[in-house]
Formats: sequence, structure tokens, C-alpha cells
Amino acid sequence: MNNKAPAYLFLFPAFLFLGMFALLPMAQIAYYSFFEDNLIIPKVFVGLENYAELVSDRNFWSVLLNSFIYLLVTPVLIIISLTLAIAVREETRLNNFFRTLYFLPVITPLVIAGIMWRWIFTEDTGLLNYLLSLLGIGKVSWLSESPQNMFSVMILTVWRGFGYYMMIFLAGLALVSRELEEAAELDGASRLQKVFHIILPQLKPSITLVFVISSASALKIFTELYIMIPGSPMANKTLVYYLFTEAFERFNFGYSSAAGVLLFILTLGFSYANVKISSGAAKE
Amino acid sequence: MSGRILRYTIILFFGAAAAIPFLWLLSTSLKGAEEIFAFPPSFIPDTLNTGNYTGVWESISFGVYTLNSIIVVSVTVLLNLLLASLAGFALARLNFPGKSIFFLLVLAAMMIPKEIIIIPLYSTVLALGLDDTLAGVILPFAVEGFSIFLMRQAFLQIPKEIEEAAIMDGCSLLTLWYRVMLPMTKPAIGTLVIFTFIGTWGDFIWPLVVLKNSENYTLQVGLSYMTGTFVNNYRYVAAGSVLALIPVLVVFLTMQKQFRRGVFAGTGK
Repeated sequence: MNNKAPAYLFLFPAFLFLGMFALLPMAQIAYYSFFEDNLIIPKVFVGLENYAELVSDRNFWSVLLNSFIYLLVTPVLIIISLTLAIAVREETRLNNFFRTLYFLPVITPLVIAGIMWRWIFTEDTGLLNYLLSLLGIGKVSWLSESPQNMFSVMILTVWRGFGYYMMIFLAGLALVSRELEEAAELDGASRLQKVFHIILPQLKPSITLVFVISSASALKIFTELYIMIPGSPMANKTLVYYLFTEAFERFNFGYSSAAGVLLFILTLGFSYANVKISSGAAKE
Repeated sequence: MSGRILRYTIILFFGAAAAIPFLWLLSTSLKGAEEIFAFPPSFIPDTLNTGNYTGVWESISFGVYTLNSIIVVSVTVLLNLLLASLAGFALARLNFPGKSIFFLLVLAAMMIPKEIIIIPLYSTVLALGLDDTLAGVILPFAVEGFSIFLMRQAFLQIPKEIEEAAIMDGCSLLTLWYRVMLPMTKPAIGTLVIFTFIGTWGDFIWPLVVLKNSENYTLQVGLSYMTGTFVNNYRYVAAGSVLALIPVLVVFLTMQKQFRRGVFAGTGK
């Protein structure tokens, strides 16, 4: 339909908000990152100083490294969620029950999930150390010592994510050609052969998608740390935590914006590389 | 045969892994004061201590947090629904210059993580004088790229004939949008409501930044604050967490089908 003026009226309210609270702020952080700005004194243009300061801060490198270490959850999530998607693929009542169960952690608010897991990992009275003591393993400092505390946070991420990615894989599996599978069965292919030679190659788009989503969200981990290991030193934290602390505890807005710009570039770069690598692999 | 055993072992193992933290939380919320620190821990409380639930309700402003969360969630859902269905309708059914640019902007907005833009968001909220208010929590999330995208896809699927018939009847654009087409996007509306509801209910980092006065806290901020002040009172935190979980569980379990559809919509399938 051709109705120019009303069309813009329909768009206006939504784009007002989208512009104010998503598009413009993104441009603003790029701009702020060149200023010294603490909200109180007028901001001063400092060029690339924030970036220079960032790369010379030892904490920055350790949080960056941690953010990369958190990316280890991505392959773990893919293996678990793909395995489960294949396991509960048929629409039986039992499988539907488990699909729902696996999805419950996904909808659980992160704060509550963090609280739940913090208690499981608590050293003296936690559930996990109790279960380990039954196996004769001594107490592990799941929350207070590095690197175990990062491992504990990763467990929370995996717990809260595998159900979501399983759903994406189930959507992908619904598109996998049954005829090909049946033909393979007639040829006497084993179950594993079927998975590796028929199902996985056809699931490549879903695998790429899960890689992109899960690595982008692993790079952004914040609340998990805030709730589970609040007292641990900055050396155990991640990039978003660092950005957040600089902005809202030290009020270094410009400096923190520079960290935000780097994080955005990193996220985009990662997604791009994931898509490139997997589409390259698909061509072979 | 062994393949089958392996399959069920995997299914059950992850089923247990998904369920145990919930059961542990529930059990903690019903325990007595001494039982909390008992070692070995007990799974089933000696006596069911519902006192933790009344306790958390009375001793802190839990009711206020709940009310704040309900306000934030319902206004956010309504605004998303209204703004996204208006914009989605225009992007799907109307022709105008710059249409593809507007759509690209929606996609761009979908890719910007809120965690990164939190500083300019906050300074905008400060400039609007909305610091420490629920409006300041709500407005930046009044419409999300994903909501517009979802509604656009839904409006695209309505057959052309319906639009033509309505125009023949002398329908205005507003009537076409509201009376004719909006009712036909019900499944997408369901998806949008659940996604926004669950996302907003669980949101933490943004309300944490905006809200200062504890009377304005949402449930998630209140719960995290409780874990600080009530370090020794696990039972109240557990009871509060169980209470805060109930709405998402109810919404999810009653509207699962729409939720699943939303996961697929998000994946472009």
C-alpha cells in the first residue's frame, strides 16, 4: 500500500525509542571514548589516551584473557545441546517432558540462578562438596580460589544455556532430510555413522548460529560474576565487569566507553569469524 | 540395546542436572535455622518451615519489590506490543521511501548489546531526570529491535486479499492495523509477550544501575541486595527466590508453544 505520511507516523514512536536508546548510544560510546568524562567536571577531549591507558593497564589484559577463557563454554554447550537434541528428537511424551525440564534453567532469572549455584558451590555446607566427600574427595574452594571460581561460573553458564541451544538444534533437526537417513539405515550405517555423516553436515547452519550466539553472550558475562563471586579480585573478572566497575564505581565514563568500543569490535569480529570459518568449511 | 541405555543415561543425567538446583533451592527455603548449616546437608527438611516465606515478606520490602517488578514488566510489555506492532505493520504492509533503511536500523539495533551502551543510556536517563525511577528502568526497553522484527514477520504473513478487501470496504489505515490485522498476529503477540515478560522480569544490570533507593528496587535487584544484607539468612533469600520464580514458571508452562515459536523466530527459522 502506498501511504507515505501515515507510514512515518506508524514508525515514529518505535524509532524514537530505538534511536534514543539503542542507535544513538552506540554512536555516543564511540564519541565518549575520546574524552575524559566523569559526569561532574566538563569533559575534555583526550584523543586516544583512553585506549592507550587501557592497553597499559594490567587488569585490562587479565579481564580480556578471562573473557577469552569463558569462551571455552561454547564448545561444551554445543556438544551437550546437540547430543541432547538428538536424544530427545522424537516427539514422545517423555521426550517432551525432558525438553521442558531442560528449558527451565533458561527462563530462570540470572540472579536467582546465580544464588542457587552459589549455594551448591559453597565450600563448607555446599551440596557439591558434600557429594564429592561421599566419593572421598576433600573440600574444593569452588568460589574463593582461582581458577576453580571461573570454572564454577562456567558451570552456571552451561546450566542456563544448554536448553536454549538444544531448542535451536531441534529446529535445525526438523529440517534434516529423513529420506537420506532412511537410505543410510538401509545401507547398514550405524547410529554414530548416521550422526556424523548425515545429520551433522546438514546441521551446519544451526551449529554456526549457536557458535555466534553463545560466544557473543560468553564475551558479555557479568551478572554471573556479580552474584556468584562478588568478592574476588578484578583479575578473576571479565571485560563487562571491568567496564561496569570503571563506569559506575570509579565514574571513568570515557575510559569505560573505550572498553565498550573494544568489546563491541571483539563481539562483531567473533561473529564474523565464526560465520566465515563455518561457511568456508561448508564449501570444502 | 547399549545405545538405548546410553541415550537414557544422558537424558536422565542432564534432567537431574537441570532439576537439582531448583529442588535444592526449594528445600533450603523450607529449612529451619540450624538445618541450613548442617553437614551432611539434608535434602528433605525435617519440618516444613513456611515461616521463611512469611518472614521474607515481612522483614524486608519484598512486597514493594514485587509491585515494582510487576509495574516495570507490565508497562514494558505493553509498550513493546504497541510500538512494535505499529512499526512492524508499516515495515511489512506499507510502501514508503527509506523502508529498507528503517528495516536495516531494526537489525542493527538487534545487534547492539545493552551491556555495552549502558553508560550513554544512563546519561540519557540522567538528562531526562529519570534517575532512580521506574520510568528510567522502563523507557530504554520500551521497544526492542527483536520485538519489531517479530511483528514485521507476523504482518508479512497475512494474505494480500485481506488487506484489499478491507480497503474496498473503506477501512482507514488505523482500522486496518488495529481491527483487521492485529488480531491475526496473535501467535506473534504471544511470543512477544512471553519473551519480553521473561527478559524484563529477570533483568538485573540495568535496574541495578538506575535504582538507588531500596523502595524502588525490582525483585532481582532486591534479591541481590538481600544476599548482601542477609548473608547469614539463606532461608529468606531462598524463599524470596522461590517466590520470584513462580511468575516466570507459570507464564512459561502455560504458554510454552508460543515460547518455542519465539526461539525459532529468533533463529530465523
